[in-house]
Amino acid sequence: MTSFQSSLGDEEGIAEELAESQREISIAEFFEKNKHMLGFDSGARGLVTAVKEAVDNALDATEEAGILPDVYVEIEEAGDYYRLVIEDNGPGITKEQLPKVFGKLLYGSRFHKREQSRGQQGIGISAAVLYSQLTSGQPAKITSRPKGQAKAQYFELIIDTDTNEPEIKVDEETSWDRPHGTRIELEMEANMRARNQLHDYIKHTAVVNPHARIELREPGLDEPMKSERATDDLPAETTEIRPHPHGVELGALIKMLEATESYSVSGFLQEEFTRVGKKTAESVIDNFRDVYYGRELAWSPPAAHEDRDVEAAIEAAVANKGAAATAAFAEGVAGTVAGNAHLTRSELASIVGTVADDVEADTGRTFGSTVRENAVEAAWSAITGVGAGDEDAADRGGDADGSEGSGDADGSDAHEEGAALVPDVYALVDDATSTRKDDVTVQAMADALARRFANLDGDAFRISHGDLETLVADAAGFVTEQHDATFGDTARGNVVDALWARAGTVPDDPPKVAVIAADRDAAADLLDAMRVTDILAPPTDCLAPITAELVEAGLRKEYDADFYAAATRDAEVHGGDPFIVEAGIAYGGDIPAEGSVEVLRFANRVPLVYQRGACATTDVIKSIGWRNYGLDQPGGSGTPNGPAVISVHVASTNVPFTSESKDALANVPAIEDEIELAVREAARELKSYLNKRRSMQQRREKQDVLGRILPEMADKVSEVTGRDRPDIGGALARIMNNVSVEREVNGETVTLHVENYSDTSERLDVTDIVSVEPRDPSAGTVVEMDGEWFLQWKPELAAGDERRLTYTIDGDADFELSVGGVETEKLTVNA
Amino acid sequence: MTTDADAREQLIDLAADFYDQFAAGRIPELELPTRTKSNIEYDPESGVWVYGDRTSTRSANSVRGARKLLKAAYTIEFLADQLEEDRSSTLRELYYLSESWDNTEAQFSDQDESNDLVEDLEIVTGVTREDFHMRPEESGATLMGPLKLREQTRRGERDIHCQEDVGEGGYQIPNNPDMIEFLDHDIDFALAVETGGMRDRLVENGFDEAYNCLVIHLKGQPARATRRITKRVHDELDVPILVFADGDPWSYRIYGSVAYGSIKSAHLSKYLATPEARYVGIQPADIVEYDLPSDPLSDSDVNALESELEDPRFQTDYWEEQIELQLEIGKKSEQQSLASRGLDFVTETYLPERLDDMGVL
Repeated sequence: MTSFQSSLGDEEGIAEELAESQREISIAEFFEKNKHMLGFDSGARGLVTAVKEAVDNALDATEEAGILPDVYVEIEEAGDYYRLVIEDNGPGITKEQLPKVFGKLLYGSRFHKREQSRGQQGIGISAAVLYSQLTSGQPAKITSRPKGQAKAQYFELIIDTDTNEPEIKVDEETSWDRPHGTRIELEMEANMRARNQLHDYIKHTAVVNPHARIELREPGLDEPMKSERATDDLPAETTEIRPHPHGVELGALIKMLEATESYSVSGFLQEEFTRVGKKTAESVIDNFRDVYYGRELAWSPPAAHEDRDVEAAIEAAVANKGAAATAAFAEGVAGTVAGNAHLTRSELASIVGTVADDVEADTGRTFGSTVRENAVEAAWSAITGVGAGDEDAADRGGDADGSEGSGDADGSDAHEEGAALVPDVYALVDDATSTRKDDVTVQAMADALARRFANLDGDAFRISHGDLETLVADAAGFVTEQHDATFGDTARGNVVDALWARAGTVPDDPPKVAVIAADRDAAADLLDAMRVTDILAPPTDCLAPITAELVEAGLRKEYDADFYAAATRDAEVHGGDPFIVEAGIAYGGDIPAEGSVEVLRFANRVPLVYQRGACATTDVIKSIGWRNYGLDQPGGSGTPNGPAVISVHVASTNVPFTSESKDALANVPAIEDEIELAVREAARELKSYLNKRRSMQQRREKQDVLGRILPEMADKVSEVTGRDRPDIGGALARIMNNVSVEREVNGETVTLHVENYSDTSERLDVTDIVSVEPRDPSAGTVVEMDGEWFLQWKPELAAGDERRLTYTIDGDADFELSVGGVETEKLTVNA
Repeated sequence: MTTDADAREQLIDLAADFYDQFAAGRIPELELPTRTKSNIEYDPESGVWVYGDRTSTRSANSVRGARKLLKAAYTIEFLADQLEEDRSSTLRELYYLSESWDNTEAQFSDQDESNDLVEDLEIVTGVTREDFHMRPEESGATLMGPLKLREQTRRGERDIHCQEDVGEGGYQIPNNPDMIEFLDHDIDFALAVETGGMRDRLVENGFDEAYNCLVIHLKGQPARATRRITKRVHDELDVPILVFADGDPWSYRIYGSVAYGSIKSAHLSKYLATPEARYVGIQPADIVEYDLPSDPLSDSDVNALESELEDPRFQTDYWEEQIELQLEIGKKSEQQSLASRGLDFVTETYLPERLDDMGVL
């Protein structure tokens, strides 16, 4: 520093010299140097990120236009480079917009909207274009055909990194077989080392977008990876919402204040924010008054034995109104005042006003504003013992206090000022502090506080919360010093709270919007007020959760499992932005049983592929005790093992990511809590499924063993008794609480005995396939097919019920019985 | 007495019950009295303790129950065949024999299981194990005293005098004492002795001859045959039965099973128990009175004594007094501790005094 100082005289124009080398950095240039921030840190990753950005865009565009997405992704080798082609069936982009969308960073339709969407900043696809251009030198080749246009438009463009403007190389009409849509072709230096992540990304995208058809072709795949549509329902359309008062920051608020057409704060709040009506606006404004103006301390009216007398004071203060009217007025005010436990000066003024109006009406005497003011002054003086007529004392006290402690030495005087306030303050302090405070300390504190209150500017005892804290701290410091007593932070805080709670909000009108907009402190006060006011959570129609049903359908589509469960939580709010968490679990089937479960992370329907370890979702899943839910978890914590896939979707108008590359959710407690609840909800279903499966397995084992033992026992008893082997089907079915179906053929009559030994009612589907034509079936239906007759019954049997299904046949026949409607474990068929 | 044909009939009836249950589509089951201490009741008519009304069901409803019933079916077949062929076997042989059955599910996993099953069958059929021709591995208990009896052996009838025709070991009680016929006797009282050492002491000292006493060796917890013959001696020969055992809770149980029946075989109490049997000693009071050498009570002794206070068989003033005294002094003594006063003390002083007290002499 000093060297510059010393040489300033010698060398002129150093600042200018420095300024010459300072210039604006274009965003594109910035990106060039900070590729990693946007997920383009390596060739492998760059490719995945480019696919991801393009597919996200394609899905957003199609959904917005109400079209079921049909996305095609192709990666092919092109010499030393890879060529990436992404096509969608979206609405297309107009000729005017197209270059900007693809060729300008931070250009987008969604950044300013509070609405759930995949992309937001408008960086993604243009960053891919930039990356392609930087690595291969090739322009992006874009074809777009807006719906209803005969021809498509073909562009080749690059981004001018100096100006962040698109530079169009080719612009021509072309024909395209898609009726509408967009196709982008990028060539870039890349490699396929991240093939797994790419496949995961496509597969996971299909899971959370069951309404989309996605196809991927790349050199490593023999067959294109296709993911078919599982539903024709588009996600619910989202509506843009206004910001929530809990979610704005000071700068944004000032901007809104400047821009609004509203004149009053109330109008501004109701107009510009969501969930703010007249009542909520009033609450915000009350809180704003407290912050901006401070509150007025309230005091109790003098009791009968005290020598201060409100009525007398008013009578003395009112002149020329006639004895009767004066008396009525004074009595009215004094009576109302006495009816209040404590009151502020503003409340007193309002009482005086009301009584004056009444007396005016009764007596015809006019009580002008001067009279009213005098009355208020006199009454307030009577209540608080300070103000009018006591000015000398107050002045003296003020001087004494100003001379650093000497005022306190001057006991009698100091004691005088604010003396009338002491009992009130004493009661409050005594109440607010612990019982261990001895009476002398409390009394000293009350005295010290009352003295300081008496010295407040004006006689309304108006004080802001911050000043009140300072004042109490000052008084406490004085007490500590003078009386060798402790008055700690907790006690001070309690006293402040008690005083603040007793104080009343002032009736002053809040400043107008323009005033607040111009006053940064006032705006900050308003923001504080907005934050402390209870306001309804923002509406959730700005969100499009997948819904539990479709989360499950998505998993079902991509994973061949035995069991699926899903849960969608209700919307919650974090920082003014609503969010919804959904979780799904797939278990068993073809999911590999070895190693950890697969965790699928999604944000606004976009799969998160990288930085799993840094993601709040992963943290939450690791923190859950999965053994409770029937999954293996070595050590009782960490990612569980087993044949399961756990998917978590967070939908929000503003998903908190850990970085711009949007790979991992930040650890926001409100969101983590919801993730945990959603996952646990789905896991509970998994648990009951696993329990049921276990019990079915036990049942099967039992059935196996009994199926072996009981026939042997039956053989043995028939051997000992010398009788034929008994039929044990009924006994076996009864033991297993099963449904038993037994055939009995008696000459021409065929009977199927159906017995329900279980303790629940069962609805069966019994089909008997017979090789000859059956006659006279008991109820049921008969269908002939290729020389076989299908007899079908659908009996419903209550617990313990039995049913006979009969028909007749001519001669011999082959039968084939199948029984549906009950688990095979619960069925004993002997036919 | 049950004939072999009756016994066989009963077994086959049981198998037929199972058969009928199967045929009716019902779950085969066996209902048995619950064999626990809490389900033992005093039968005032016979003066013994028998099973109460509570029953438990062995049902094929569970894998365990089904296995038990399968084993029962196999055992029924085995016993029925044995009766038909007029053979007999030991409980242990049954256990090993199950190894040869074609069905591994029917094989017993240990001998307790086969013993329990035979007892179950006894209860359900009302036929004793002896009548199934099942015997325990070893009985070994003996009689010594002025008694002449006739035993039906497989090798013909034998007339035996239990003093003159036997060695110092005495007369070996056969597994089925109902095969014995009492011919003549000169017994004034029978003394059932717990330990072999004390039994030998009495015989060596000629106590049986001197007092016309039938010395029954209990050999610890007495076998069924020993208890049965004790009962027959009492009932048929009308002589008082006295039990002479150690002075500890386990020996009181020996007395209990002689006098009132055991928990496991309460279904046979009327057949095995001798409620008139009285306890000679060692009593806790004797430990004090004769200042016998003693051991302190262990924790398990104390538990056993406390559990005896709850035992319906010991709910008498005499036993409550003795057990509480023992808990109080915290000591136990063996029969042989009497030897601390000399080898003849027991036959010359202790027993005569005690028997005199009890009004036997």
